[in-house]
Amino acid sequence: MSFWRDAFIAFALLITAYFMLWNVSQMAMSPLAAITLWRQRQRHTRRARGLVKGVFVKPLVSIVVPAYNEELTIVQSIHALLALDYRPREVVIVNDGSTDGTLALLQQTFQLVPAPLAFVQPLSSEPVRGIYRSVSEPDLVVVDKVNGRSKADASNAGINAASGVLVLTVDADTVLEPDAVSRGVLPFLEDPATVATGGGVGIANGCRIEGGRVVDIALARSWFARFQVVEYMRSFLLFRLACASQNAVVIISGAFGLFRREAVIAVGGYDQTAIGEDMDLTIRLQRHFRMRREPIRIAFDANPLCWTQAPEDWQSLRSQRYRWRRGLLQSLWRYRGMIGNPRFGTVGLGSLPYMAFFEGLGPVIEGGGYLVTIGAAMLGYLNWKYCGMMIAVSVLFGAAVTLLAVLLSDATSRQYLQRRDLALLVAVAILESFGYRQLNAFWGCVGTVQALTGKGGWGSMKRQAFRT
Amino acid sequence: MSDLLVEFERLSPLMLWMAIAAAVTMAAAVVVERTAFGVQQALNLRVTKRYRPLVQRALAGDETARDELLGSPARHRLAIARLLIEPLIEDRDPERIAKTRAIARELSMFPIANRYLRSWVWWRRALALRAFGLAQATDHTPQLIAALDDPHPDVRAAALDGLADMHDLTALQAIIVRVHDISLHRGRRGAAIKSFGSECEQFLLEMSEVDSENRLNYIHALAICGTARSRPVLCRWTRDTRIDVRATAFEALAYVGLDDESARVAIEGLESDDPRVRAMAAYALRGWQGPGDAAARLAKHLDDTWAVAVRAARTLQSMGPAGAAELQACASRPGIGGLLARQMLWQPELQR
Repeated sequence: MSFWRDAFIAFALLITAYFMLWNVSQMAMSPLAAITLWRQRQRHTRRARGLVKGVFVKPLVSIVVPAYNEELTIVQSIHALLALDYRPREVVIVNDGSTDGTLALLQQTFQLVPAPLAFVQPLSSEPVRGIYRSVSEPDLVVVDKVNGRSKADASNAGINAASGVLVLTVDADTVLEPDAVSRGVLPFLEDPATVATGGGVGIANGCRIEGGRVVDIALARSWFARFQVVEYMRSFLLFRLACASQNAVVIISGAFGLFRREAVIAVGGYDQTAIGEDMDLTIRLQRHFRMRREPIRIAFDANPLCWTQAPEDWQSLRSQRYRWRRGLLQSLWRYRGMIGNPRFGTVGLGSLPYMAFFEGLGPVIEGGGYLVTIGAAMLGYLNWKYCGMMIAVSVLFGAAVTLLAVLLSDATSRQYLQRRDLALLVAVAILESFGYRQLNAFWGCVGTVQALTGKGGWGSMKRQAFRT
Repeated sequence: MSDLLVEFERLSPLMLWMAIAAAVTMAAAVVVERTAFGVQQALNLRVTKRYRPLVQRALAGDETARDELLGSPARHRLAIARLLIEPLIEDRDPERIAKTRAIARELSMFPIANRYLRSWVWWRRALALRAFGLAQATDHTPQLIAALDDPHPDVRAAALDGLADMHDLTALQAIIVRVHDISLHRGRRGAAIKSFGSECEQFLLEMSEVDSENRLNYIHALAICGTARSRPVLCRWTRDTRIDVRATAFEALAYVGLDDESARVAIEGLESDDPRVRAMAAYALRGWQGPGDAAARLAKHLDDTWAVAVRAARTLQSMGPAGAAELQACASRPGIGGLLARQMLWQPELQR
C-alpha cells in the first residue's frame, strides 16, 4: 500500500516538476525570440525588401501546390499566387488524382491545354498522367498525376516539373501575403548557405479575403479556430523563433516552405512514407549538410507569410492532431541518432532533444499527470486542495506562456488591430488552458498509441470556401 | 516521500500565487503594450499632420514654412527628418535631394546624425548613414567609407546603401573592393554597382586582372555594369583555369552581349568538358543570329546533361529562324532531346 502511495506521489511530483520546467523553458525562449523578432523587424526595412527587386539575376521561384479535392479553394489560391509581387516565378499545381472536379475546374478557368513538357524526374512519385499549360496564364503549369496517397508524393512530382532554382511548397488552401516570396527569398540572397526558409502561418478563418488576399484580419467566430490562433502564435513565436536564432530549425511548416531545389533533390525529396513530411524533410536537410560538415542555414520569418484554414469541427481537428502526433513521433524515432549528438550542432544538442523531451513526451505526461493526480486524490494519497492547486498552477503557467506569445505577436506584427479582437485573444489564451489543452493532450495520447501500434490514416478535413 | 510531499504542499500556495502573478502580468503586459502603441501612434499622427504640409511647402520654396520648421521644438526634429528624408528612398530627383539637404542643414539635422554615427547602438549608426546617403551629403563620404568596416553587419550594409545613394565617385574604389564581401547582401552589392553603372567598369576590369583570387566576383559585377569594352577580357576569363570562373565569364557575356569574336568563343565553350561551362556557353548564345554554326552546335546538346540541354533548348528558341529550324529537325528525335525540342516549338505557339 505504502509503495503505491509513494509511487503515486512521486509521479505526481515528477509531473509537477516537468510542467514547471516546460513552462519555464518556454518563457526562457521569449527573450531569444523577442531579440530575433526585433532584429528581423529592424532589418526588413522597406529598403531591404526592395533589394530583392534590385538583384540583377533573381532566382526563379517555382510555387508547387499539391491539390487533392480542392475545388472549393483552388481557383482563388491560384489567382492569389499569380498576383504575387515576385518575378520570375511559375506556379506548378499538382492535381493528385482528385476525385472531385478540381482538374475540370482548372481546365475551364485557366484554359488548360496539354503540353509536351520535358523534365527529368530525380524524385520518385506516382506516374504523371499529363502536363498542362494555361493559355490565359503563361506562368501556370498543371501536373495531373495518379493519386499517391500522400502530399509528399504530389510535392515530389511538382518539384520534378519545377524549373526554378528555388521551390516554394504551399498547401492549396494557403493564401500568401503579397510580399511572401520576396521576404522568403531574402535569406537566400543574404547567405549562400541558406537551403530553406520557413514562414509564420496565420489562421484565415474569420478574415476577409478579396482576390486571393487577406484584406481584413479578424478573429474567427469558431472557438476551435480561435484556440488554434493562440496555439500557432505559441508555436511559431517561441520555439521555432528560438530555434531560428540558433540555426536549429527542425520544422518548416507544409503551409509555406521555400527550398533550394538542388538541396531537396540531394536528400531525395519528400519521403512518401513520412507522416509529417515537412518535419522529416527539414531534419533530413539538417542531417545531410551537417554530416558532410557543409554550411547550412534554415531561416525562419516569424511574421505571417501565409494564411491557412484551420479545422473548425472537432472531427477534422482530431484527425489533424492524431496525424501531427504520429508524424512527430515518427520523425523523432527515425532521427533518434541525431538527438544529443554533438556532430549535428545546435540541432543535435538543442532543438531535437527539446522536441523529444517536451513535444514528444508532453501529451503523454500531461494526460498521465491529470489522471494520476486526480487518481491519487481519489485514493486519498493526495489531498484535494493540493491536487487542485497543482492543476491550477500548470493551467495558469500555460496561460502565461500563451499570453507571452500573444504579446510578442502583437508587438511585432500587429495582426489583430481591432481592440475587441485583442481582448478576445487574451481571453482565448486564458480559456485555452481550461479544456482545449486537456483535449489536445488526450488526442496526443491517442496519437501516440496509434504511432506505437502503426494504426491511423491521413484523415480528412472539411474544406470551407474563404469568406469574401 | 511523505516529507517531500509535505514540503511540496507547503510550497504549493506560493507556486499558485506565482502562476497567478505570471498570468496576470502577461495579460497586463498585453494591455499596456497595446495602449502604449495606441498613444505612440496618436502622437506620430499628430506630428505628421502638423509637419507634413509644412515640409511640402518648404520643399516648394515657401520661406514661411521653412521658418516654421526652424522654430519647431527639438523633440520634433526626428519626426521632421523622417518626413523630409524618407521619401528620398523612392524619389531620387536631384532637385528634391538638394532642397532636402539644404533644409536638413538649416534644421541642424546633420549634427544630430553625426552624433548618431558615434552611438554605440548599431541602428542609430545605420540610420545616420542612410540619412547622409539619401540626402547626398557628400562631405560625409569619408565617414560612410569608414563605416564599411563597422563591426556590425547591418551598419556595413547601411554604409553601402548610403554610398550607393550618395553617388560620389570618390567612393567608387571603396565599393568595388567590397564586391566580394559576402557579409554584405548580394542584392545590396549589386545595387551599389548598378547605381554607378559603367563608371565602375574600368576599375572592375583592372581589379579582375590584379586580384585573381576574387576574379569571380568582379566578373559577377561586370555582368551588371559591363559594356562592349568588357568583352575581350571576359573572353579571356572563359579560358581561366577555374571552372566556376569560366562558367561565370560566359554568364557575364550573356548579359553584356556578344560580337562575332565572343560568339566564336561561346561556340567553342559548348565543347568544354564541364557541364556548367557548357550550360553557360549555351546561355551566352541567347538570341545570337550572327555568323557561325551556333544553332547546329546547340542542337547537338539537346541530349546533353539536363542543365546543358535546357539551356541549349531555350537558346535555340531565342535564335529566330535558324534556331527554329534546328528545333524542327530535332522534334522527331526520341528521348528527352526530342521532347525538349517539341516543348520549345510549342511554347511560342501557346503564347500566340
